Amino acid sequence: MNYIDWLVLFGTLLFIVLFGTLKTRGNQNIEGYLKGDNTLKWWMIGVSIMATQASAITFLSTPGQAIEDGMGFLQFYFGLPLAMVIISVAMVPIYYKLKVFTAYEYLESRFDLKTRTLAALLFLLLRGLSAGITLFAPSIVLSTILEWPVYVTTLLIGSLVIVYVVSGGTKAVSLTQRQQLTVIMSGMFLAGILAYAKLPQNISFFDTVNVAGELGKFNLINVLPAGVENPEKLSFWEKVSRISQDRYNIWSGLIASTFLFLSYFGTDQSQVSRYLGGRSITESRLGLLFNGLLKIPMQFIILFIGVLVYVFYLFYQPPVFHNQVLLNRALQTQRADSIRAIQIQYEHLYAEKRKAVDGLVSAIKQEDEQRKKVFREEVKNLQQEENGLRTKVRATIGEAMPGAKIQDRDYIFLNFVLSYLPHGIIGLILAVMFSAAMSSMASELNALASTTTVDIYKRSMRKEAIPSHYLKASRFFTILWALLAMVFAMLANFAENLIQFVNIIGSLFYGTILGIFLAAFFVKRVQGTAVFIGAIIAEIVVLYCYFFTGLAFLLYNIIGCVVVVLVAYILQVIFDNTTKEEAAPKV
Amino acid sequence: MEEKPPVFRAWTHWYWFVMGVLVLEIILFYWLSRSFT
Repeated sequence: MNYIDWLVLFGTLLFIVLFGTLKTRGNQNIEGYLKGDNTLKWWMIGVSIMATQASAITFLSTPGQAIEDGMGFLQFYFGLPLAMVIISVAMVPIYYKLKVFTAYEYLESRFDLKTRTLAALLFLLLRGLSAGITLFAPSIVLSTILEWPVYVTTLLIGSLVIVYVVSGGTKAVSLTQRQQLTVIMSGMFLAGILAYAKLPQNISFFDTVNVAGELGKFNLINVLPAGVENPEKLSFWEKVSRISQDRYNIWSGLIASTFLFLSYFGTDQSQVSRYLGGRSITESRLGLLFNGLLKIPMQFIILFIGVLVYVFYLFYQPPVFHNQVLLNRALQTQRADSIRAIQIQYEHLYAEKRKAVDGLVSAIKQEDEQRKKVFREEVKNLQQEENGLRTKVRATIGEAMPGAKIQDRDYIFLNFVLSYLPHGIIGLILAVMFSAAMSSMASELNALASTTTVDIYKRSMRKEAIPSHYLKASRFFTILWALLAMVFAMLANFAENLIQFVNIIGSLFYGTILGIFLAAFFVKRVQGTAVFIGAIIAEIVVLYCYFFTGLAFLLYNIIGCVVVVLVAYILQVIFDNTTKEEAAPKV
Repeated sequence: MEEKPPVFRAWTHWYWFVMGVLVLEIILFYWLSRSFT
């Protein structure tokens, strides 16, 4: 990092914060603060939805995910366009018709207060935790990279967000997200181009893709269970059973992810508030569909950048541990000699691997299938040995510095940027990470504040006050949730892979929330009490699955949702029969 | 002449368009997986 990077980083961040604050300052009413006066056009809604979903974790973790496990993670997003269509058809018109501030308001008009409050509390719990992680992820990574204490990065991101969200509310969130997404997309695009430009001159684009494919990084679609020798030979039920335990395949992507995204975009206030601020129902729908069209290509590009970095590290010696700052600190301890010994072994292994990679490239160029197979296996075996050494170095660093975060997947991309990209671009990529963290956190704080104000405070605590009181309350809750997220981010130190952890946390609650909403929309017979009990049972079942079974976490979304609807329906039938019996005249 | 309801028709088209793009993407990714693995 030099002065150009600092200038780009702070110039970008300050411009966005000042622009967002100044453009939306002045007196506002509660409607404007929480819903943005219904002025947003479709593309603004689309941008806002995308910027809310794409947090810093997306850009820190996803390239690392592609480097280690390939591009199969893309399948996770296949359910998103389907969810966008279903929400546009079934949910948006109802929210518009009822003119609600939050999604949970609808539940009271359909069921009762206790169901609305339960859904709102589940959301606050889920989103409150996620806001902490949204902040924790970039704070910890950036604090390590910049060698600042973690509380400095946490306070910096948190305070910048508080300034414009408290001042301008939803309008400021949407306005700043436009600039943030521009910074994010241009930064990532440049990083991809530069990563490709850094490859050796004799490696064409086609060679790059071919090498990555040969080494299993282009596993975009998994139809059959992964990690099985001959999956075709398994019986149908064995296939189903194994697929249900795989994290990412086309089936979980199309079915389970649809449930997750239906819940996230249809019932999570941080997303619902994005399209409730639309100029009209048409603009809101188009905004959602815009996201449905662009999300998969965007994730493809981010994963592909990871693949480019992976190929780059086939031709240039990668570090044995990607968190360089932690590695340097560990080298100051008594375990330094062990770490250096592993580093030397790692370098020897890389020299061998490099020869095999050159052999693989020449076999690909000559289309020699036999040699391709030989070198592919050789590279894969050497890679396995490399992974063994990487595990060993992680364990040694853990011994040298007890309590340190020894997982370095989230550092691979940033470490590459810092080591190989030119000054200016480094500052821009750091601005991408900060912008992504701020854009997600802004939406989350805005949604947490509006749900706390509208669904809890205004509805159950202080029912009749003047509008300006609720505006003040919203601002107070925004600051309160921001402070909670900051405290959580400073104390938390967990999770091997952050993006996965966020999705697991989401899956624990989203199924139940979606079940409540689906029952409300589509099962006319069920009433409040039945749904309320169904939701509590569903949450217990989901938590049981998480703690006591090996089911893939995406399935919790289906399980939670189905249990709510089924239990609610059965209970409603029982309640109705009991009522009829009681009402019937006794002979 | 009575006008057809344009919004409904446009919306139906949009939904099919999004789903069609998804199907094309899946076919493309499947082809990429098979070709380069």
